[in-house]
Amino acid sequence: MNMQAKPTLRELSYAEAIREAMDIALSQDERVILMGEDIGVYGGAFQVTGDLVEKYGTDRVMDTPISELGGAGIAVGAALTGLRPIFEFQFSDFAALAMEQIVNQAAKVRYMLGGAVSVPLVMRFPAGSGTGAAAQHSQSLEAWLGHVPGLKVVQPSTPEDAKGLLLAALEDPDPVMIFEHKILYKMKGPVPEGYYTTPIGKAAIRRTGKDVSIIATSIMAQKAMTAAETLAGEGIDAEVIDLRTVRPMDRETVLASVRKTGRLLCVYEGVKTLGVGAEISAMVAESDAFDFLDAPIIRLGGAESPIPYNPELEKAVVPQVPDILDAARGLLKGRI
Amino acid sequence: MPIEVIMPKVDMDMASGKVMTWHVAEGEAVTKGEPLFDIETDKAAMEVEASESGILHHLTPEGTEVLIGAPVAWLYADGEEVGEPPSRPSVSSSADGDPSRVSDVTEKPSEDTAAPERVEPLSSEEKTRATPLARAMARANGLEIDAISGTGPQGRIQAEDVRCFLDQSATISAPVAFKSETGALSITRSKGGTGTPVVLIHGFASDATSWAPLETHLRHRPLIRIDLPGHGKSPKLKLNGFAELAKIVRRTFDELSLDEAHLVGHSLGGALCLALADTRPRSIKSVTLISPAGLGPDVNGEVLGGIGRATRAESLGPWLRQMVKDDTLITDAYVRLAMAPRTDANMRAAQQALADSLFPDGVQAFDLRAALGRLEMPARLIWGKADKIIPWRHALGAPGNIALHLFEGVGHIPHFEAPEEVGKILKASL
Repeated sequence: MNMQAKPTLRELSYAEAIREAMDIALSQDERVILMGEDIGVYGGAFQVTGDLVEKYGTDRVMDTPISELGGAGIAVGAALTGLRPIFEFQFSDFAALAMEQIVNQAAKVRYMLGGAVSVPLVMRFPAGSGTGAAAQHSQSLEAWLGHVPGLKVVQPSTPEDAKGLLLAALEDPDPVMIFEHKILYKMKGPVPEGYYTTPIGKAAIRRTGKDVSIIATSIMAQKAMTAAETLAGEGIDAEVIDLRTVRPMDRETVLASVRKTGRLLCVYEGVKTLGVGAEISAMVAESDAFDFLDAPIIRLGGAESPIPYNPELEKAVVPQVPDILDAARGLLKGRI
Repeated sequence: MPIEVIMPKVDMDMASGKVMTWHVAEGEAVTKGEPLFDIETDKAAMEVEASESGILHHLTPEGTEVLIGAPVAWLYADGEEVGEPPSRPSVSSSADGDPSRVSDVTEKPSEDTAAPERVEPLSSEEKTRATPLARAMARANGLEIDAISGTGPQGRIQAEDVRCFLDQSATISAPVAFKSETGALSITRSKGGTGTPVVLIHGFASDATSWAPLETHLRHRPLIRIDLPGHGKSPKLKLNGFAELAKIVRRTFDELSLDEAHLVGHSLGGALCLALADTRPRSIKSVTLISPAGLGPDVNGEVLGGIGRATRAESLGPWLRQMVKDDTLITDAYVRLAMAPRTDANMRAAQQALADSLFPDGVQAFDLRAALGRLEMPARLIWGKADKIIPWRHALGAPGNIALHLFEGVGHIPHFEAPEEVGKILKASL
């Protein structure tokens, strides 16, 4: 199983791995700057930037005013002049305030100026539910940005990928949006030392199996792995694919898996309707892999509801391990 | 108004039956009391007779499971216009046609039958419920999806159902069942049939299974199929030239100890039948040569070489399509099936060595025209005029006592491309 530690690797938390990536980038490339609300002395809303301001100073680790639109605009401008800004939102929900800069400027400038400039901007979005922060601080909005040509959208689910995808995002000449799941920040896992990148646009097969393809994003990849272990005990051999990148989507890996298993289960935390799973399903249905489907495609996504404040209701509106188990069993035992 | 032919109830706890074999073909006339079709239930197989006279239409495909009382075909009066199959009338109206069957059609399967939707016929509006994989598998095997019963939710046909169907049909609806024997070469004998046996010898790079399209027409006779060396299940022998090949075929034939036999051979198998008839004239009652080798020097060495070299379906397909006139007959699924035994490199090598000795430089190195002239038993040549492998004009050198059947728009494998026509010729004379 890929997620298990190799004994020689040290363990870091997901937040520490992101901080290490930023630290490496700041030390290696003077064009890299960090921007965001309370990322300096306070260390960031989820303490991801931590004490980097002490190491690199306020010229490179900059607190921005409480204006997401303003901050994002400054970041886009900085990227246009040749800097490599990493802009942190306190909550991904606040992307709504910065949409003009992300969607109409960052994503469009390269195209509208005939390729004369690019926007090498990295934005980090703490996303997802499970913190009891209610409807305005718990959403999974990756599908919004995944709908915009000109943006790349990634969702790391492990500390190793959180570091590797951030460094890959900095190498990319175009804007890359990173959706980090808040519940994962404290999750520990093996992280290689030094500089490495995780390819954008390449899914990871976390577990190979022959009976059902579970395509999951972000924290759902972890839940799918837990479910897969239980399913294995019941004789159901699930393949778990961590999509990692929402845009551009890794078509080959997904299709090859469906051709092998004939059953597709998409698991994602964003609202089910018009979400990432809809795109995965359509991609399969439109491809030759369609001919290999031996059961309907199943999507498990967020409920048609704002995320409730009540912790029990909060759990109930996003897919949980038992939901994945039920769906996989239904697919394999002919109930679906 | 056409008369329904229904699936009869032949034992007490029977909910459905399977149409196994039709004795009367689509569009043929049938007389009341004549055997119409065979059915199979969980317990028994039996023949069903025609309840009325008429012209038979809209036959349910062989191998289909049909609910008791549901129509399996319709009988039309002579001259009555035949359109789309009538939609299934209600149970009561179907009972009107034949009072003797009232009990059959009004009795429904018991309520506690497990998974009742498995045999519930769909309304004519609704498409068959099947997964894409099941449909793809059915397509690849030349099956109508409607012939398969589904065990998934709401009777959905899934891959497993197609697999089961294929397993069953391999034993039930295969036109003729064969059992194997080992001798000098692999022999398969059909289990039914009476009278003079028919010995079938296939062509180069083929095997005994290639006779399948013809077997239904010959099922009244015992059929004996020989696999050539290096083909099908026969051993891979090192043979030097046609004489050695003919010798081992003759030995195989002698081991069969038949008092008499009809010979049917295709291509290289035709040449071997001719050689056999020439040396065993007393026991051979007739010879049928389909696109035979041995009657002239020309042969398409390019195609033979291409088939011999092909290691994958992609490279085999284009050459196989040269064998026939209508290349849509050679579907990708057909090619994959044909390639399956050819993945054995030793078999390919054995066949190529044989081809090199029989057809060096793309020329037929053996000549049986003299043998053709010596034949005294009834003999016929069947050839397609679009044959790209061996020119049909070789047939024109045959003496006048040999019947000539030439088909327009047919390539090198007439029994595959025009099985009905070829079947009729053989059925009438064997």
